Amino acid sequence: MGSLSLRGLSARYAKTVALHGLDLDVADGEFFVILGPSGAGKTTTLKSVAGLVDAVEGEVRIAGADMTGVEPYERNVAMAFESYALYPQKTVEQNLASPLRSGRTGSWSPAEQSERIREVTTTLGIEHLRGRFPRELSNGQRQRTALGRVLVRPADVYLLDEPLSHLDAKLRAAMRAELKQLGEMTHTTTLYVTHDYQEALALGDRVGVLREGRLVQVGTPAEVWHEPADTFVARMFGQPEMNLFAAELAAVPAGGTAARSRRGGIAVGAPHSVRDSVDPGGSVLLGIRPRDLAVLTGEEPADRLVLRGRVTLAERLGRLVELSVDVAGEAVIAVTEDQRVREGDRVTLTVPWDRVHLFAGGPDSGGPDSGGQDGGGQDRGGRRLGGQRLGGGVPLPATNAGAAAASGGGAR
Amino acid sequence: MGDGSRPGGRQPAKPAGREGHSRRGGKSSAGEPQPGQRRFSPASVGGDLVLLAWFVFSLFPLVWLVLLSLKSESEQISTYFEFTPTLRNFGTVLSSEGARLTSVNFSEALLTSVLNCVGAVLVSLVIGVPAAYAAGRWQYRGSGDVMFTILSFRFAPELMVIVPLFVIYNQLGLFDTNVGMIWVLQLVTMPLIVWILRSYFQDLPPELEQAALLDGYTRKRAFLMVALPLVRPGIAAAALLAFIFAWNNYVFPLILTGSGHTPVTVAVTRFLGGGGQAFYSLTAAAAIIAALPPLLVALSIQRYLVRGLSFGAVKA
Repeated sequence: MGSLSLRGLSARYAKTVALHGLDLDVADGEFFVILGPSGAGKTTTLKSVAGLVDAVEGEVRIAGADMTGVEPYERNVAMAFESYALYPQKTVEQNLASPLRSGRTGSWSPAEQSERIREVTTTLGIEHLRGRFPRELSNGQRQRTALGRVLVRPADVYLLDEPLSHLDAKLRAAMRAELKQLGEMTHTTTLYVTHDYQEALALGDRVGVLREGRLVQVGTPAEVWHEPADTFVARMFGQPEMNLFAAELAAVPAGGTAARSRRGGIAVGAPHSVRDSVDPGGSVLLGIRPRDLAVLTGEEPADRLVLRGRVTLAERLGRLVELSVDVAGEAVIAVTEDQRVREGDRVTLTVPWDRVHLFAGGPDSGGPDSGGQDGGGQDRGGRRLGGQRLGGGVPLPATNAGAAAASGGGAR
Repeated sequence: MGDGSRPGGRQPAKPAGREGHSRRGGKSSAGEPQPGQRRFSPASVGGDLVLLAWFVFSLFPLVWLVLLSLKSESEQISTYFEFTPTLRNFGTVLSSEGARLTSVNFSEALLTSVLNCVGAVLVSLVIGVPAAYAAGRWQYRGSGDVMFTILSFRFAPELMVIVPLFVIYNQLGLFDTNVGMIWVLQLVTMPLIVWILRSYFQDLPPELEQAALLDGYTRKRAFLMVALPLVRPGIAAAALLAFIFAWNNYVFPLILTGSGHTPVTVAVTRFLGGGGQAFYSLTAAAAIIAALPPLLVALSIQRYLVRGLSFGAVKA
């Protein structure tokens, strides 16, 4: 048990820099999830903490002690490798016994060892496999064995590298639910790496989003979901990913600022603070999560952004229907439970104001609209604008809703 | 004679195969070859003949060696294939009679060779396995150059270094000693073992040892506990190859040993005589005896060898 703190952690492989000065504090017993796409440096972060990467700069502190120059076997950390790294010549039982026999994880009598191994294998549902060799296991079983080799021992920090990635979907969901309940997990500081945003949101006390060796945002699951720091974070969370529309800031005659999508179909009022970072006429990105859009039946509410368009594609995915809607030339993805929607239908979509996100336009977002066509921008991370929630700060919701409706209608 | 026997030998299999096809297909197509069925063409027959000729050419010396070893002294140069076979040559080679003819005791030479080669391989393993591990795991500035230098010991002609070695050995008192031979055979065995085992270690995922480190084992224990057991097939293959190369080495013992510690390779050639009569049949018998130990070693570790030679050669 112990806290973990990284200061200016950098790592490189040959000429490639894998980590650019990571700063992170993980409290004692906290479950911290690092989320990022392939090659973002997630595994390198874990290996740096474990002392397995040679060219590391910066400081790693475990339980307050500086780990610079400390050998991996003296750090008292346990790691589950993505490649499992089970000893091929040892059975599951012997693999799990390995950390207990090393003498650096406390002293365990043979009886205590087998008792501890029995506990862990039972928890992980691999008790019946204890006599098997890794080559006789399925990938999911191997992965659970690798996880078991971590859980079986006490450690200051657990480092878990995508420990659920090779399980089939149902087992993964079940394991995800179980993982946090485990006593070992609740008591031990854990650094958990994944590329699955659902795992990150479900498991993490806090989540850090890693991109190209830099931490883009660190926050609670609610924070990274509701207030993504930039478009990269916004697009990491959610499936289908967030709609992003290239838009332009403009002054509104009634006073105030509005962001209007370049094709004119969407317009929202922006908080005044936006003007601090983007000049009128500057480019911004509007973001709306597909699940925040609702298909409207009945009267248009005044307190919501309203989009009107034609359904170009309706994919039925069981209970949900994924819609592609053409809103005045903008392709909008929406997810609804309304099974009646058909392709070619004209629909009205609404979204609460506080669910509309506003980002600074990246260098690319002001360019041709082709980027906007397939879901908005590249991964050019536009910073989140306004600091606070956008909807709360909107000065002219009603008029803008009207303007959006009007311009949307005008394009038809 | 080749083209008479080979197509004839294949002929019976062909109709049988076609029968199987037609039975499965339910209709007979006697004249037309099935898809994928082998057909004779001048090119394929010619190709087979070339292979057959090469086969005979490359194996004939061995056949001739065996025939020669079975001939009596009077028949050794006067007969080809018709003679009265005898095993007396093998006895002569190993007895004091052979020692009298060549001034080298062949049995002792066998023992010397075994000592030299086993010793050389053991020394190479003790030094070479950790070296190969280090070379396979850690890249540093100039690591490629170091490996190339080690390899260059292997392909540099032995004659290039033999004269200075002779002088050095004489001055150090290593001439005609087992220690001296074991030492010089490192030039043969060490590069082989380091290079073969390096690729084995490279094929092992480094995560295995990293996992052992995090389990609380030191680097040395991680190596002994995890990496070493996994390359055992490679060690067997590399050790055998090194043993054979050391066994077959001729130039080093020819120059660096006298009559006291002559190994078999040199002892065999003594039967060809030095000015006196050349005992071809005795030479052949000695050569066959000399070839047996590596053969026995190879057979005894065959189980490891087959896996070992293929594992590591191909990257997965």
